[in-house]
Amino acid sequence: MSSGRPQVTGNINSFNSIINFVTEIDAEGCQIMKWLSLLEPQQRHQGVRIDRLDGVGNWVLETNEFRKWCDGKDDCVEPLFCCGDPGVGKTYLR
Amino acid sequence: MIDSLCDKAGGKDIAVVGLYCDFLAQQEQSTTSMLGAILKQFASRGGIPGHIREAFQKAKREFGGRSLRLPDVVEILKKSSTSLERIFVCIDALDELVPKYRRELLRLLYEIVQVSPNMRILLTGRPHIDDEVAEYFSKAVRIPVSPTQGDIRSYLKMRLDVDTTPKAMDDELRADIMRVIPEKISEMQARI
Repeated sequence: MSSGRPQVTGNINSFNSIINFVTEIDAEGCQIMKWLSLLEPQQRHQGVRIDRLDGVGNWVLETNEFRKWCDGKDDCVEPLFCCGDPGVGKTYLR
Repeated sequence: MIDSLCDKAGGKDIAVVGLYCDFLAQQEQSTTSMLGAILKQFASRGGIPGHIREAFQKAKREFGGRSLRLPDVVEILKKSSTSLERIFVCIDALDELVPKYRRELLRLLYEIVQVSPNMRILLTGRPHIDDEVAEYFSKAVRIPVSPTQGDIRSYLKMRLDVDTTPKAMDDELRADIMRVIPEKISEMQARI
């Protein structure tokens, strides 16, 4: 019994130090994230994902232009510009 | 686009980042904050790289803690890009950025791509910014987006399914809506 006790304490200590270590990194990490940008595009993306209608606009993904842009192995692939009037569904392309 | 790319990229050394431009948030969407948001997505993907942490700590030591400056974010982006095999950057509704920031963003993206050829850019926007895009990326590939008849039918079906006054609808009216509207829209598109 008595030989087990210090071992347990030791574990708790190391556990605490790990927790502290992680929190310190996280606190600075949060500051860094805010310093980089206050924008949260991931949040907007969640909204888009929820409102998207499955299948609509998928033909764009099948075009040669998109496939070449996406799967081409070479460097220096030119940008794609999907252009269209408001409301045609550009934002919701999957 | 982002989700399709993420499906393909799954687990590999490929980053997919997205930026959304919005008329209503024009003031916040400066070039610095837009490019910073790319970095933020790199960092949330694979942890904060050491050089970003160092840049932050250096800025913090300066008087009052310095905010991120445009030349710094460009340099950090160039450096961060080298550790990835491929980076897909999707920018939605580029036309909704303030023209000054839009030009600046395009110019800097061009500059970044020159040193990070592993970065691929996809832009969406209204046709009136065509010339501006071509000014910085003369070989950009244009895909005109307009809904197909199938797309319109899917959309109509969804709207009819959530109709709040279903009693006003019968099979005949529903069939008419599903037939006439896609036809009319296609006629309008043909005229344009």
